[in-house]
Amino acid sequence: MSSAGHAPSLQGLSKHYGSFRAVDDVSLSVERGQFLTLLGPSGSGKTTILMCVAGFVAPTSGAILLDGRDITALPPERRDFGMVFQGYALFPHMTVAENVAFPLRVRKLPTAERDAKVRAALDLVQLERFADRRPSQLSGGQQQRVALARALVFDPALLLLDEPLSALDKKLRAELQEELRALHRRVGRTFINVTHDQEEALSMSDRVAILNHGKLVQEGAPAALYERPRTRFVADFLGKSNFLTGTVREAHPGGFAIAVGATRVVQALDPAAPRPALGTPALLSLRPEKIALLAEGEAADNVVEGRILSWAYLGAGFALSVATPDLGVLRVTLPAWGAPIAPVERLPVRLGWSAAASVPVEEDAA
Amino acid sequence: MDGAHRPGRFATVSAWTVAIYLVLPITIILPVSMTDQRFLSLPKEALSLRHYATVLGSAEWLGSIVQSFWIALASTLLAVVAGTLCAIGCWRISRRSTDLIRGLMLLPIIIPSIVYAVGLYRYFARLGLLDSFLGVVIAHGVTGIPYVVITVATALAAFDPRLEQAARGMGASLGQTLRWVILPRIAPGIASGAIFAFIHSWDELVIVLFIASRDVFTLPRRIWDGINENLDPAMAAVAVLLVVFTVLLLLLDMALRRRRDAA
Repeated sequence: MSSAGHAPSLQGLSKHYGSFRAVDDVSLSVERGQFLTLLGPSGSGKTTILMCVAGFVAPTSGAILLDGRDITALPPERRDFGMVFQGYALFPHMTVAENVAFPLRVRKLPTAERDAKVRAALDLVQLERFADRRPSQLSGGQQQRVALARALVFDPALLLLDEPLSALDKKLRAELQEELRALHRRVGRTFINVTHDQEEALSMSDRVAILNHGKLVQEGAPAALYERPRTRFVADFLGKSNFLTGTVREAHPGGFAIAVGATRVVQALDPAAPRPALGTPALLSLRPEKIALLAEGEAADNVVEGRILSWAYLGAGFALSVATPDLGVLRVTLPAWGAPIAPVERLPVRLGWSAAASVPVEEDAA
Repeated sequence: MDGAHRPGRFATVSAWTVAIYLVLPITIILPVSMTDQRFLSLPKEALSLRHYATVLGSAEWLGSIVQSFWIALASTLLAVVAGTLCAIGCWRISRRSTDLIRGLMLLPIIIPSIVYAVGLYRYFARLGLLDSFLGVVIAHGVTGIPYVVITVATALAAFDPRLEQAARGMGASLGQTLRWVILPRIAPGIASGAIFAFIHSWDELVIVLFIASRDVFTLPRRIWDGINENLDPAMAAVAVLLVVFTVLLLLLDMALRRRRDAA
């Protein structure tokens, strides 16, 4: 388990089912050893893309390359990719060791070598003691690790993961996210993961590709996507966001200002970014955690007054819904520890945020 | 079924009536087979096992038992191989046309066997298969296919298709996937189908009456002739042996199912 991973890429990949475009002209390249996550709601085409890469679904058009070589027509058994299926797809009639040995048995490896590799793979996922058990005698998390060992034991060119953690409960999921991340660092292989869980995508991946309606909407490092979403969909799907819709009234070197009803909202812009034209509509995404509660007399780039409509205690923090005269209901989260107020319904509050806290985003294409 | 509603009186009585109606004709042969008389009747003065001795000592009866057994075994093999391959093929391709093929495979149990037998008779006469071991094996094998197709298709319906994908994804060829993943998973279904195909051949009479005469003389055929010619209580003894054998096969089937469900 040493050599570096391989670099797969998709070129104009499409899969149509009748008139339905499950995958619509997706191009994407993955670097060697990268952990890429395909993220999207159900029906976004992410699993179809993974199945095309694995070879179980033939694309309608486009190509799949591995290190520049076209593998589109290669049957799955000749691609040499490891895969962890949703629900794991462990063979119930075989023991854990037999499951892990399966890819080696297929490759007709000598028994001694096979046993050594199986032991190493089980060691990698800390399941040596369970070698002789059947999958049905293991917990969900252990089954998941068997599936990982089985997918990695034959040194695959690529590891494909189809919603690997979706069957687990929340706490276990968090644990395995960390484990998977550590495993990726240890084996240094290219991983392609599919999930609809944005938290999982952000915490595990080097790079995230966001899909919607079969199209690639945006891709990048998790932090870049979260901080600089390009469209309303990305801002909304990756974390939570408030949206401010207004008309551009001023533009200056540091940014621009929009009018939302009678409220002026200032937005900072990168000096290199193009200025929006005056009078055009603009849409801003503002994360709930970037809004602060201001004390009397405290200043900020943007300040609005409102009343708490409802609130929820989340342990680590409060989630407030604040009704404002012009901006509608704004969602605000603040840490519970050292919160400046005790939330009460209808309590008047002053909200403030910096001009750099929000991001201009595009409205989604209809 | 703990804690379920207890059935009402009417349901209980009807259930028992039906059960007795089904079982009584079979249980009557047990005393008849142990009669001390020399014709088919209930025992008068004492129970006797001499008719069992007659059967087990008679070259004709034993010959028929052995012949029936080999025919059943060979035709089961034929039905299992053909039926399993057909079911797996239909399952893998899984289009509307395969539903039709699966339907066609059930024809032998849809068409009355006497119609089937007449057809076979004419066809086999031309092929020279009348009154031959091979002819009866083919006829029983083909009419046994539906039992295998049904049980194997049911087993495949419960088979997780991702297991096949997983196997192929790990580099297994179709043959390896079939041998190491699909067949072990559906083995209980195949075994069930085999047991039913065996029983089907073991007690099949109508087709044999048409396509066999002197050389092939299966057990049901000998019972049939015995009833027509003389009322020898040995037939009741054979019938008991037949029932016992069939019940054992069905118990085996149940045991296999239980083991599969436990796994």
